[in-house]
This record gives sequence, structure tokens and C-alpha cells, in this order.
Amino acid sequence: METATSDAEEEKKATFEASEIEYASYGGEHHLPLIMGLVDHELSEPYSIFTYRYFVYLWPQLSFLAFHKGKCVGTVVCKMGEHRSTYRGYIAMLVVIKPYRGKGIATELVSRSIRVMKESGCEEVTLEAEVTNKGALALYGRLGFIRAKRLFRYYLNGVDAFRLKLLFPQRELHPSLVMMAHNDASQRHASNRPLEEFPEQQERDCSSMGESVSNK
Amino acid sequence: MDEERAEAAAVDRHDPRPSSIPSGDGSVWADVSPLLEAACTDLPDGELIHGDNFNLFAAMSALEIMDPKMDSGMVSRYYSVDEAIENGAAPVPISCDKTGDVQCTIDIMDHLLACEATWHKGHSLAQTVFSCIYLLRPERTSSHALLHSYSRIIRATCKAVVSVVSDARTHEEEDLFTMAYGLPLIGEDEKCLSMLNAVEETIARQLRACKAPSSGRKVIEDLEPLQNNLALEEGYCKAILCRLRFRKHFYHVLMCLKRPQGRGLQLARKHISSCLSELEIIRKSTEVLRSNDYGTHNCGEDKTTASGRRPVGFDASINTRLSAPTPPRSIKILSWSEAVEYFVKLLHDLDIICSFSLDASLEGILQFMVQFQKSHPDLVSRAHLQTLLIQDGKLYGRDPIFAVIAKAAGLPEIVRNHDIQNGECLVHLGQLVINLLKILSTNAAWQRRKLGKIVQDWRVIHIQLELALRQEMGEESGISADQNGRGDILRQILIWVEEQTFWIASRFLMLGFELELYSPGEYCMVYWYIYVVLIKLAERMHHKMSFTNATAKLKGKKKKGSTKDMSRDFQIPASVLFLQSYICLAEGLTMMLAALKNERMLSQSPSPFNSDHERFIQHFELLQKAGVPDHISYQSFEESTKNARFSTLVMYNYFKDAQRIAKEVKNSFPNDPERQSELRRIEQVAEHNSIALTVLCRLGSLDSSLKVSFDFSHHPYFATAVVKRS
Ligand SMILES: CC(C)(COP(=O)(O)OP(=O)(O)OC[C@H]1O[C@@H](n2cnc3c(N)ncnc32)[C@H](O)[C@@H]1OP(=O)(O)O)[C@@H](O)C(=O)NCCC(=O)NCCS
Repeated sequence: METATSDAEEEKKATFEASEIEYASYGGEHHLPLIMGLVDHELSEPYSIFTYRYFVYLWPQLSFLAFHKGKCVGTVVCKMGEHRSTYRGYIAMLVVIKPYRGKGIATELVSRSIRVMKESGCEEVTLEAEVTNKGALALYGRLGFIRAKRLFRYYLNGVDAFRLKLLFPQRELHPSLVMMAHNDASQRHASNRPLEEFPEQQERDCSSMGESVSNK
Repeated sequence: MDEERAEAAAVDRHDPRPSSIPSGDGSVWADVSPLLEAACTDLPDGELIHGDNFNLFAAMSALEIMDPKMDSGMVSRYYSVDEAIENGAAPVPISCDKTGDVQCTIDIMDHLLACEATWHKGHSLAQTVFSCIYLLRPERTSSHALLHSYSRIIRATCKAVVSVVSDARTHEEEDLFTMAYGLPLIGEDEKCLSMLNAVEETIARQLRACKAPSSGRKVIEDLEPLQNNLALEEGYCKAILCRLRFRKHFYHVLMCLKRPQGRGLQLARKHISSCLSELEIIRKSTEVLRSNDYGTHNCGEDKTTASGRRPVGFDASINTRLSAPTPPRSIKILSWSEAVEYFVKLLHDLDIICSFSLDASLEGILQFMVQFQKSHPDLVSRAHLQTLLIQDGKLYGRDPIFAVIAKAAGLPEIVRNHDIQNGECLVHLGQLVINLLKILSTNAAWQRRKLGKIVQDWRVIHIQLELALRQEMGEESGISADQNGRGDILRQILIWVEEQTFWIASRFLMLGFELELYSPGEYCMVYWYIYVVLIKLAERMHHKMSFTNATAKLKGKKKKGSTKDMSRDFQIPASVLFLQSYICLAEGLTMMLAALKNERMLSQSPSPFNSDHERFIQHFELLQKAGVPDHISYQSFEESTKNARFSTLVMYNYFKDAQRIAKEVKNSFPNDPERQSELRRIEQVAEHNSIALTVLCRLGSLDSSLKVSFDFSHHPYFATAVVKRS
């Protein structure tokens, strides 16, 4: 997610107890303007109302909001689905407003989504983050995400992105068996794969959101 | 809410619009307004009917009209180029005042340079260079020799650059880069040079005229000055001349690089150096242009002209409709000084390419490409490198790939025409080599992804070669001895393929550091994997070399008929020793990191959703799938690191070994400054880590205030441990 270059206003920290923060799963129409307000303000990519609806309508259970004394201070918006024979979750937007940052609110929001994804049978979770977004990278790093690849000039402002991935433990198979299975299958495919390189499809498909945004 | 009104307004503004758009086969245009109107009363604003085919892409492609972030129509001033011209956006001449006209022309030249650099940096041609209205209507400028000749060479240059980038097909951002649909590039070719030369000649004479003492002026009295203000004449003539000459030489550079088999490289270097000196003069012309300015100007950092003025005749939004399939967005044009810097770097990178020896071995080429990457060359120079290396399926358009492989595998000269090369396997291998060279000329991010994928292909070819070799040997045992040496050839190539596979794997792993893909918590497993791969690489390398030596010796022996002692050990070759120093570093770092972890000296809390095991699978998935190397798993990583303790590490300091080997091997590369400096870096990392390790071993578990962190201050891939008391 590309972040807006933010003005240094509203840096003042709010004082509150972690226990005062209430979390809610997306609960319908009345939550939509709250989410849109937060995201529009913090992220530079312009999203049409359809984009928001697309997410919250199809995966309301993956979107969460954080409230402090009735005020919405943070939100996370996600999706999940089939992607090349794996079932994966995707974190589309994550925002906590400035006075409430650094207190674990984003961590809690994302963790809730990830738990639902895991329970819903996702094998992994992915997202993109700007290479310069140290805060978000640290947050996801602590949650166990790795930087799977770097996407060259992914954002319109010319900044590279990391594709972050979190793989859930695979319980069904012993890992070495999984590896062997992979091995066989991939070698069968590889031997009759055409040699000329295709333009890489993977980075251009529309299955995850940032990709279609920046049209890489 | 206001959407209808907004839409109506947008339509108004865009009038006159084409009266009717023809409908396609079997379809007719129907007015949907009544339907929409009816739907509007049913659906509140922003609601969505969700059909099955409505996906994220559709959602994100939807634009909200009159939202300036999304609605490109809202931002554009003109509906068409013609409308812009009618409105006087790009007058010819630019100004009726000759001095003003010259000034404006220089501004246009400068802004075009900024646009061109912005284009090279990955934006669309339509929205950068061709935001210039003059460029879009070639015939309009024909009465303005200066502007016309400049426009022509710009178009010709763009065309040449588009062509080399599309030939290279590096599969990066070039879709956007080479998309020139609807732009007037066709028809521009080297003929533009003669016109440019004529204009240059005239201005050179004007410059001479204004510098000549007034007595001599009579001789060239028929020559009109460039403009009317005599005080400015010299400065303007010079400013224009260097700009024209830069374009000329730059175009020559591109043409020279295009020559087959690298035949134009020497000449290209001459033009590159001319380009660089003209750029220097252009840079210096800033003073004259600014001081002569009698208009208002902004001297902000992001100005796109030397004078600081805004150029006439550009409209960034005029082409947005041509830049599909990207949703048109406003882009920021590089500043003039950034643009000049970009071209300086581009020319230096091209010069590095031109000065590379055309006789290098494949190994030398691979090393060169790795080295070249370190300066982060941009797309255009990388595309040139690739088109130079591979032409018509041959190296430099000259050496057949099999000959290149045979040489790399250490096979004797005579084998290079062997009919074995026509076998399916070896043809396939040739393609893999070409593919590898192409991949190595892409940007680092893309390159790493592709390297990860081709490891698999190399593994498969390895298996196929093994099979072929077995067949060969089987057949032979039945009939006669390996008559034409097919078995030997295959065996030798097989070893080389293995070596190459491990080289690719090591490159894949190390690029991860350059791209910052590893977090400190993962360093341990990454160095361990690097260590394992490098050991295999060194083995194969050594194997290949001793094999080559053996055959050479055998051949020599046959000739002389002498019987030397064959059991004599071969000395370890310097390139293997060089790798050995890497191996020691990687092993040392693995063990130090493992000990830190085992002794709980790294503040790392376990992650809530998974463990190191999953991170291992994710990072090395591509290598594991290809079995590179075989029999390696997370379990083997755990086995080899779980017992690491400072109490045992103190007995054996791998860093000391690395340091010693690096020192030793230095003498073996007296004429290789790159290796020399790499070895110096290795020595430094080794030394620092050796000291850190000693400190940790002595105090580590006793002193809980010791904090260890890692940085890359001495080497891009091998971390240096920093021990601090907190
Ligand atoms: C990224 C972002 C969502 C993080 O929100 P946040 O609520 O501050 O995140 P968290 O509090 O969960 O974690 C951030 C830090 O707080 C610390 N923290 C966590 N729980 C804490 C607690 N109970 N008390 C104090 N600090 C705490 C974390 O350790 C972390 O420390 P760090 O500063 O070393 O990184 C927020 O900065 C943001 O909205 N940025 C703009 C949009 C953006 O970049 N989105 C992400 C796109 S991928």
C-alpha cells in the first residue's frame, strides 16, 4: 500500500489505555464512511467507492475497525481467494490515525484478520508495502512475514515495494513429503516448458490489489 | 450526488467532440440514459450491483467523475492537439521577437531533455517527451529550422531507443517504455542528421561572426545574427551549439552501438566522450541563460530548464488518452539538473559496456555483468548490454553458443565444431545460456525472481545430460571405445552445468541482500544456505579444473610418451581458493548467529503465526524445488546449528581462516583490480567479525548488557557484527 506523504500535523499523541480501544468486525453500511475516511486520508492511492465495497461486501469478516470512545481510530481491509492453486489472504489496507500509533492497535487489527484467514483455510497471507515504510515493515516482520520479493518501481511515485508473505504451518503433511511432492510435479512440468520467456504474468494479474493499481 | 451535473459539465468542456462514433459489427448504439435514470432512483449513490464477473480489477478501474485524483479528463486543458494549437499553445515562431524566440527554443530543448530522462526512468513516452506539442505535429515546425531539426533528432533518438529496448525484451517496465502507439516516430531516421548539421553549421558561423572584430565582420555580412540583442548573441549561440552537438553525438552513440558484432564500440566511445563534454558545456550555460532572462522565473529545485522558466508548447495531459492501458495519472518530470545527471550516468554506463573486451570468456562475461549491476544501471544501458551480448543467437553475434559453452567447460578447441552440439539437449542448453545472459541484464529485483525460476531449468538439463551420458556409455560398452569422445564431452559439460547451477543459486541468494529481502532474524539460515551452495560450487569448479588439467596432461603425455606420476595432487586453483574465503565467512556468520540465538542474546520474540521453519521454506522454496543442492532441508539446517555455543566457537574461528585465505589468494590476481578490492573487503569483514567473536566468546553469556547488531558497512552481502554495551 502506498502511503501518502503526510504533513507533520496531528503528531500529538493521544493518551489512552489499551483496554479503552474497542475492536469490531465490519458491521454494515454505517462503517463504510469511517473506513473510507481513514484510508483516503492516509494512503495516496485514490480508491473509488467500488473498491471499498468490493472488499467489505465480499469479505466483511476480514475487515476490522478500532474505536476509542466511539471514534474510529484504525481499520484493516482484506480479502482472500484462490491464487495459483493456493488459497491465500491479502491485506489491502491498514491504517491507524497518527495520535493513536505505536500502541499496538495496527498489530491487533491485522492479527484479527490473519486469524480469520487462517481459520478459513488460507495457506498464506500476502501484501505489498513500500520499501521505505519502515514502521509497517517492522510490524509485519514481527508477525512473521518475510519479504518474498522486491517489486521494482511498484508505486507511481517511483518507489519499490516488497511483497510480504506469511506462510502458515502446514500440518497435514510432513514437510519433507511436501518437498518431494513439489519436486516431482515441478520437474515434470519443467521438462516440457517452452524456453522462450513469456512476459511475466504473475506481476500483472489482478488477483491482488496493488498490482492492478500500479499496473505493473 | 452531483455526478450527473458533473458529467454534463465535462462533456460541455470537451466540445466539439466527434459527432458520431461508428458502431461495430452487429452492434448498434443505444441511448442508455433512461435506463440509468431509472436505476438511479433504485440505487443510492455508491451502491453496487455485484455480478460474478465483477472483480477487483473492475472495481479499481472504476473512476469517479470529477474527482481530480481519478478523472484525467478533468485535468486536461484541451480536448485534442488541434484544439491546443488553435488556442495558441504552441505557436510557430514561438515568439515574434527573435531574442525571445531563441530563448524559448532553448527552454524547449531543456525541458525535452528532462522529459527524455523521465521517460528512461520508466514513464510513458506519450506523457513525457511527447507532451511536447511541437513534436506531435512534425510538419508544423518546418519553417523554424532550429526547432524543426531539433524535433526531428529527438523523434529519431526516441525511435532508436524504443527499438533497442524492445529488441532486448528485458520484461521489466518496457511495455510502458516502448509503447509508442499513435506517436509520430515513423519515418525518422539518420537523415535527420544532415539537417541538424546544416543548422549547427549556420549557428557556428553566427558565433564566429559575433566574436570577430568589427573590421572582419564585413566578410560575412550576408549572415544574419541568431537574434537581435548583440550582447546576448555569443552566449545564445554557444548555448544552442552545445545542445545541438549533444543530440548529434548522442544519436551517433546509439547508431554505433547498433552495429553488428560490436564493431561500432570504439567509435561509440569517442561520441560518448563528446557527449559528456557537451553536457558539461550545457551545464555551464546555465549562468548565461539565467542572467539574460528578462522574464519572471522560478529558481526552485524542480525547474526543468536551465533558465528556470516554464517552456512553451507542452501539455502533459494532451496525450493521456494514448497512454492506455495505464489509468492516466500526472507524473513528475525530473528537474533539469537531475536530467543532466541522468544522462551523465547513462553515458558512463554505456562507456563501461563499450570498453568491455569482446574476447572475454563466458565466466568473464558473467563476472562483468555482476560487476556492472553494482552501479545500478538503468534500463537503456542494460538493454544495450544485452543486445550487444546476444545477436542472432550468438555471443556478440559472432560466437556460436556451443563454442562458448565448450570453452567455458574447459573442452579443447577442436571439440567446438563437434556434431554433438546439434543434439536436442545441447541446443536446449544453449538457449538456457542465452536466457541467463538476458536475465543478468535486467534490474536486480526482476533478475532475482527469474534466477530463482531458471535454477529449475538448469536442474532439468542436468538430468537430461546425465541420461544422455549414460546412454552414450551404454552404447559404447557394447561396441567400441568412445571413438569421437562424445562421452568425455558430455561428462565435462555436465560438470560445468552443475557448476553453473550453483553459481545461479548463489547469485540468487546474494541478490537478496542487495534487495534487502532478509531481516536480521533470517540471516542465520541465509548464510547457512549460502555456505552449503558455495561448497558445492567450489567442488564443481575444482572438479572441472582438475578434469581439464588431467585431459591436458593426458594428451601431453601421449605425445611425449613419457610416464609421469599421475597420482600427484593438483594444487587448489586460485578461483577455488577465492570461493573458499567466502565459504569461511558464510560458515563463520552462520555459527556466530546460531550461537547468539542459542545463548538467547538476540532479542527476538517468537512470531505468533509461524516459525523459522516456514520462513525457511518461503525463502528457499525455489532452490528446494529444484533440489539445489540435493538433500538439504530445514532439518539439516537445524542439525548443523542447534549446538552452536560460544564455548565451542572459541576453539575454531572461521573468520581467521577467511582472513588468511583472502590474504594468500591476493597474489594470484595481480591484474584484477576488482578481485583485489573484493578480497580487501573480505579481509575487513573477517577481521571485524573475528574480533567481535572473540569478545563474545569471552564475555558473551556473562555480560547481559552486550548488544549485537549487524551491518553491511564492509561488504554488501557479508554482514559485520557490531558489539555494543547498552
Ligand atoms: C503502519 C501503521 C498502520 C502502524 O500502526 P500502529 O498502530 O502504530 O502499529 P502498532 O502500534 O501495532 O505497532 C507499531 C509500534 O508500536 C509498538 N507497540 C506495539 N504494541 C504496543 C503497546 N502496547 N504499547 C506501546 N507500543 C506498542 C510496536 O512494537 C511497534 O514498535 P516500533 O515503533 O518499533 O515499530 C500506521 O503507522 C499507519 O497507519 N501508517 C500509515 C498507513 C500505512 O503505512 N499503512 C500500512 C500500509 S502496508
